[in-house]
Amino acid sequence: MGKYAARSDEDVPYWKRILDASLPVDLSYIPIGLACGILLNASGFNVWTTLMVSVMVFSGGAQFLIASLLATNAPMLSVLLMMFFLELRYALLGSSLSKYLHHQSLGFTMLFAASMNDENYALNYLKFSTDKKFTPKEALHVEHTTLIFWTISNLIGSLIGSAINIDLTIVHFALTALFLYMIVMQLKNGLIILICILSGFLAAFFMVLTKSTLGLVISTLCASFIGFAIEAAIRKHHPKSGWLRTMKNPAGTPEEDVDDE
Amino acid sequence: MEWTTTQHVWLVLGCFCVAFAPRLIPLMFFRTRKIPDWFNEWMRYVPISLFTALVVKDIFITPGYTVTLSQIPDMIAAIIVIGVAYWTRSMAISVILGLLAVFLLAMFL
Repeated sequence: MGKYAARSDEDVPYWKRILDASLPVDLSYIPIGLACGILLNASGFNVWTTLMVSVMVFSGGAQFLIASLLATNAPMLSVLLMMFFLELRYALLGSSLSKYLHHQSLGFTMLFAASMNDENYALNYLKFSTDKKFTPKEALHVEHTTLIFWTISNLIGSLIGSAINIDLTIVHFALTALFLYMIVMQLKNGLIILICILSGFLAAFFMVLTKSTLGLVISTLCASFIGFAIEAAIRKHHPKSGWLRTMKNPAGTPEEDVDDE
Repeated sequence: MEWTTTQHVWLVLGCFCVAFAPRLIPLMFFRTRKIPDWFNEWMRYVPISLFTALVVKDIFITPGYTVTLSQIPDMIAAIIVIGVAYWTRSMAISVILGLLAVFLLAMFL
């Protein structure tokens, strides 16, 4: 989608370009948002509180967590604490996007932060790092387009929640699939694959150790720092190492010569 | 005890605060400051580490935070999603085929 949007800058209207850029997330938000609305409805949220949570929190993982914690009658304080640990990872997302949002106004920064989440972060990060002409304003509009799709899907999910009975564990896999897709999109060289595997083991280790999603934050910090440290060491001592060589992109050339993990 | 709508509203407001603060603070901090190169290089490894951790949580970690290898449908569906994502590069196709796979696998396994 990126190549298409970049090539036809002049003749394609602005809203169409934003929609094109955000479409992969928009489309995936329909099943996930419906699922989330259904789960929230099952845990006692009405249409209005569902509308509130989808606009104000706007995070698939967080809303799934709220739904599952309310289903077990967890006290308010522990829900908030869990949310805090889950949402702490956004600090990392914000940090990694910050170089593209340098010197924006205070209002813009607040607006941008309010509707940033994993999925539109991934879109915007990809756009910023591949398309030099991509502006912070466009990134904000990409966020808002995904927000609209998310909120409407949540509301419809909430409305049909009582009418349809589906297996909620299956519904939850929508989010997992989305994350898997984003991982695959990032596997560009041997070192990244290594860090990916390492991060998996560290995540399991720290989550079992901390018995909370705080383990996610610790393992992310460790794995990313190790990746950074190894890359710096390789660049210094073995600049020609195969670990950093970019692998070929299979898009458009679906030959059987490369395999995934 | 059932929660009332008023409590839900307070909960959402509380969640908004704990969700908004971590998103805003780093962006505010780096808004005017020069970001060091090493920090940018470090941050490049954040998405891959974070997403892998989230997937591992969904597939291999139970709600009580122990490791499990019993979620066979999810594991097989995850491999299918990786393959589909790799060859199609399409987010929507990956998610929809993944959901279909986990649905069918859960039925037959």
